[in-house]
Amino acid sequence: MSTRDLLRLAWHAIWFHRQRSLLTMLGILIGIASVILLTSIGEGTRTYVLSQFTQFGTTLAAINPGKISTSGLPGALGNTVYPLTFEDAEALERIRGLTRVVPVIMGAAPVEFGSATRNTFVYGVTADGPEVWRMGVRAGRFLPRLDLRQGAPVAVLGPKVKRELFGDQNCLGRHVRISGQRYLVIGLMENKGQFLGFDIDDSVYIPVAEAKRLFNRDALQEIDVLFANASFIDPVVERIRDLLKQRHKGTEDFTITTQTGMLETLDRVIRIVSLAVGGIGAISLLVGSIGILTMMWISVNERTSEIGLARAIGATPGQILLLFLSEATLLSTLGGVLGLVTGIGLAQLLHHYVPALPVRTPPEFVLLALAVSFLVGLLSGLLPAQRASRLNPVVALTAE
Amino acid sequence: MRFPDLMHFAAGGLKGHRLRTSLSLLGVGIGVASVILLTGLGEGARRYIAGEFASLGSNLLIIVPGKTETAGLAPLISTAPHDLTRQDAESLVLKVRAIRRVAPVVVGTASASSGERSREVTVVGSTRDLLHIRHLKMASGRFLPADQPDAAVCVLGARVQRELFPEQNPLGQLVRIGEWRFRVIGVMAPRGTSIGMNLDDVVEIPVETALRLFNRHSLFRILAEVDSHDQLDQARRAAIAVLTERHAGEEDVTVLTQDSVLGSFDMIFKALTAALAGIAAISLGVAGIGIMNVMLVSVSERTREIGLLKAVGVTQQQVIAVFLVEAAILSTAGGVVGLLTGIGAGRLLQGLYPEFPFHSPGWAIGAAIAVSCMVGLTFGLLPARKAARLDPVQALMMRKA
Repeated sequence: MSTRDLLRLAWHAIWFHRQRSLLTMLGILIGIASVILLTSIGEGTRTYVLSQFTQFGTTLAAINPGKISTSGLPGALGNTVYPLTFEDAEALERIRGLTRVVPVIMGAAPVEFGSATRNTFVYGVTADGPEVWRMGVRAGRFLPRLDLRQGAPVAVLGPKVKRELFGDQNCLGRHVRISGQRYLVIGLMENKGQFLGFDIDDSVYIPVAEAKRLFNRDALQEIDVLFANASFIDPVVERIRDLLKQRHKGTEDFTITTQTGMLETLDRVIRIVSLAVGGIGAISLLVGSIGILTMMWISVNERTSEIGLARAIGATPGQILLLFLSEATLLSTLGGVLGLVTGIGLAQLLHHYVPALPVRTPPEFVLLALAVSFLVGLLSGLLPAQRASRLNPVVALTAE
Repeated sequence: MRFPDLMHFAAGGLKGHRLRTSLSLLGVGIGVASVILLTGLGEGARRYIAGEFASLGSNLLIIVPGKTETAGLAPLISTAPHDLTRQDAESLVLKVRAIRRVAPVVVGTASASSGERSREVTVVGSTRDLLHIRHLKMASGRFLPADQPDAAVCVLGARVQRELFPEQNPLGQLVRIGEWRFRVIGVMAPRGTSIGMNLDDVVEIPVETALRLFNRHSLFRILAEVDSHDQLDQARRAAIAVLTERHAGEEDVTVLTQDSVLGSFDMIFKALTAALAGIAAISLGVAGIGIMNVMLVSVSERTREIGLLKAVGVTQQQVIAVFLVEAAILSTAGGVVGLLTGIGAGRLLQGLYPEFPFHSPGWAIGAAIAVSCMVGLTFGLLPARKAARLDPVQALMMRKA
């Protein structure tokens, strides 16, 4: 029997019981569609989050005080016996393989202009900030190049702070008060938007020495460094670790988070979550395959005498097996294809109505879904097909 | 047709086809079991978190330095122009009547060592009142002194004690934290992890000592205990007013209540649970379709029987009822099987991993039964109507397909 004949026969059987075939297919359709929809959302989220992080470049690393293994939250606890200091930052500048070192002291403070006030984040950084974080200056210029310990009463505003305080007016050359101190506005940042729900535009940048004074802190909250070469990061991280350990009397009381390391972790976490949710969605697929099993079983029962006849005129048990298997597989693959179309359609529809929700259906998912639905048919058809092939032709023929 | 007869006829349809009946049952069972398992896990996790926060005491205000209009991150980036000081904390007890006691808190990490043994620990600087506010228990010795905020003494967490002084009495011994030496005056009872922080891995020292150790001026936060839950909101506003006045008229603190933190956690967990259960519930729909399919087959197989029933005067409604009852029995039985499987699987998981939170809420059990019964009724409707509309004469004449 050729594949063509096999498929034709299987199709006839499916078509003969249109209604029940449709319903059986619907089970697989729903299963595949929900798995595709959920994994598309997961994949979209993953791509979105990763792109959010890579917008800062991949050659970035942050050094925070505190060891992640003890507190679980570096930076949040932040206090260590040997804090990160300006001297640490200066020592890092001498490490080969690092092009930029930016010490950061940040805090929340009210920023005033005239009668308008906005409580916002104030970052004490250096002139290298925009290069390290890949941000642009829209008007004016960024902070001047100063000695780390030297202050200057100048500030650069994020676009949101500017909008809240100045409206449409020009802010350059005006003075704002940050926590009561006067600062000359010398620059305005470009719109950068949200970063994982955190508004980057709602910030003000001042020289790090100013922030140190303003927040009355001796320690840095963070040192951000830029690597010279993306393919040569790990050895440089080791150099940073050795240097800081040596400066901190042998204790490793800091955490170095490379952008690539962070990306890998995030990537893994989102993949696992997406897989778990997809797996829960796949329960429907399992139930759908039970549906195929049931219907094929009924179909074998109904066609007992037909099978007997086929055997009597020379069909081998293998052919009978193949016939029922192809019926089940055809049924489930058709359901899978329809489910795929439905799932992708729903994902796109969702994206259309909720543009904030990123969706992406990678081609390998499509192939995988097809393979799975094919396999589902094969597996759930196996038992009934085996039963059909093992029927005794004589008994089968005499069955009513 | 009497009800018992109805049930008998319906059950007869199921009994005749054991395999297909049990397969349909299995479909519903899998659906119900997964929904039960997932809601159980979600509810368990929610209760676990709620319990963690409840251990803080529900009359607690958490005061963090810094305030921004962009919500969310303020408590993490805890730096503001005006330091949050121990005097701020004390003024809260004096000026806000509803606040019973306060504990200033400084947190940091340091390595603690005794002899050759050394360990990275979380150092918490606070006062004696922390003991009452956090409901901490001592294993031996005493907690931080009430009147010496700058003494060089420390209280060890259970695990720190175990690691630094195995099989020894640490009381009165010296521990090196950072570059300073502290005398051990107490050991905490084991407490386990609370809100992401392992309390057994903590060393408590007096607050002023901690500020000096970390060379800081500002507290990490202030915990304030309020007399009663009703006064929480009023105390919160009063605390903000007092601190604003002390900070030169600038409102630069954020005051969190357990309710506000718990409220958002609760919402997130409920939404997550609902979403996951909803996804799992799709499989119930698929199982319903399976039941509908089997019922349709069953109707066409029993066409002659139905014709006979109608010929002897059974009404359309009664025929509908017969098939609906059959579908409902099928799906409800599947629901019960799924319920038992789901709860059993949850218990099993809990038995294997005791820290695994699982709590199947009472309503879920009722809902599982109700929903599975509804699935049967809904998906049984079409086949039942098909059966009821059969023409008795034609149905009787029809040969078995």
